[in-house]
Amino acid sequence: MSGFDIFAIVLVLLVIATLLAGVKTVPQGYDWTIERFGKYTQTLSPGLNLIVPYFDRVGRKINMMEQVIDIPEQEVITKDNATVTVDGVAFFQVFDAAKASYEVANLTQAITVLTMTNIRSVMGSMDLDQVLSHRDEINERLLRVVDAAVSPWGVKVNRIEIKDIVPPADLVEAMGRQMKAERVKRADILAAEGQRQSEILRAEGAKQGQILQAEGRREAAFRDAEARERLAEAEAKATLAVSEAIGKGDVAALNYFIADKYIKAFGQFADAPNQKIIMLPMEATSMLGSLAGIGEIAKATFGESAASATAAARRGGSVPSSGPTPPAVPPQ
Amino acid sequence: MTDMFASLGNWNWLIFGFILMALETIAPGVFLFWLGLAALLVGLVSFVVTMSWQIQLVMFAIFAAAAVPVWRRLARPKLDASASPFLNKRTEALLGREFTLEKPIIDGSGTVRIGDTVWRVAGPDTPAGTRVKVVQVDGANLTVAVT
Repeated sequence: MSGFDIFAIVLVLLVIATLLAGVKTVPQGYDWTIERFGKYTQTLSPGLNLIVPYFDRVGRKINMMEQVIDIPEQEVITKDNATVTVDGVAFFQVFDAAKASYEVANLTQAITVLTMTNIRSVMGSMDLDQVLSHRDEINERLLRVVDAAVSPWGVKVNRIEIKDIVPPADLVEAMGRQMKAERVKRADILAAEGQRQSEILRAEGAKQGQILQAEGRREAAFRDAEARERLAEAEAKATLAVSEAIGKGDVAALNYFIADKYIKAFGQFADAPNQKIIMLPMEATSMLGSLAGIGEIAKATFGESAASATAAARRGGSVPSSGPTPPAVPPQ
Repeated sequence: MTDMFASLGNWNWLIFGFILMALETIAPGVFLFWLGLAALLVGLVSFVVTMSWQIQLVMFAIFAAAAVPVWRRLARPKLDASASPFLNKRTEALLGREFTLEKPIIDGSGTVRIGDTVWRVAGPDTPAGTRVKVVQVDGANLTVAVT
């Protein structure tokens, strides 16, 4: 083994070592920082890279993909002094490998702690109800604050989400009771409303009915009155016609009718099936005098002798209230 | 073992070269492929010119070192052409795009909403609601100008 042998072997080893030190393959999704004698000089992007061996060293291998950090559970006191347990997630991405490597000592820890403290301050300024119902707003506020805080580290926080907000058990129970009471109240109010409406409707119906009935009665009364008026008018007309007829004609015609009716009435008495004792009042004798009228009719018909004296005495008999108007007997 | 190497003679280099090339598939990006090429070259030269093994070793070292500039000239442009050039360079994809200012730029800093997150932008003071164009990116910092 001569010196040249050893030299050749060592030279080969040195060259291989140098090549391995100088050629760097950076995988996609990572950026490597390069330090020359411990001082940062450049950042290697994904792919094959050459660095100066012995002078340059790979410093940090920074993940440039978006990453998720779990924000651990913590107890937060809201503005109205409710203690809730909160956890969440934060999504961040490194945009500047150099800053992320050297501006901050422990990036994920720093972002975690920053997010935790900001969750406290944001939720501490809200009531429990707001905290439970305004998650978007909380996320938004957290994002703005934390993103601004991490920007010196070459990092962008893309999203912060509150995962779970757990109020203490007794509070949850009270909230449940409150909700139930709320629903019961609504149901009661609705039932009462329904009753009120139905009562009103019923009363309305009754009122309408009564009004209609009264209207009916009024209408009927009007029509009754009209009927009576018409009747009276008719009677008046009939009377007028009769008296006109009498005025034009002879009293004998009238007498004829009276006699006719009288006899018919007697005939009905005779037809009646019970015992007949016909009591004629004293006055009846004068009625019998009307039989003399029959004779007069006969005279008027068959003879020229006028029995006007008796006929004049008999004028003014009552007019029948209804029935056919007697035909006027024309004077012969 | 040494007898076997000695008996194989110049084939050693070719075998060594192919083994190195094969190893490149197992451990990619460690430059073994180029060392393998250098070994193959040494093997081919040794078939033509008779040399002592020390000289062959030195030659191998020289070829290996020379592989670096050759590789840089040949492979760099191809390796850099990516199917998805904006991978992990989200901000560069925003260059030249227009957005609406969500918060006014005051003292050189405002915000725009891109996607479902808020980006802080730098630029000349402008009121909210103005259309702005991304003109420069540096890490997570966007510089905008009024369109």
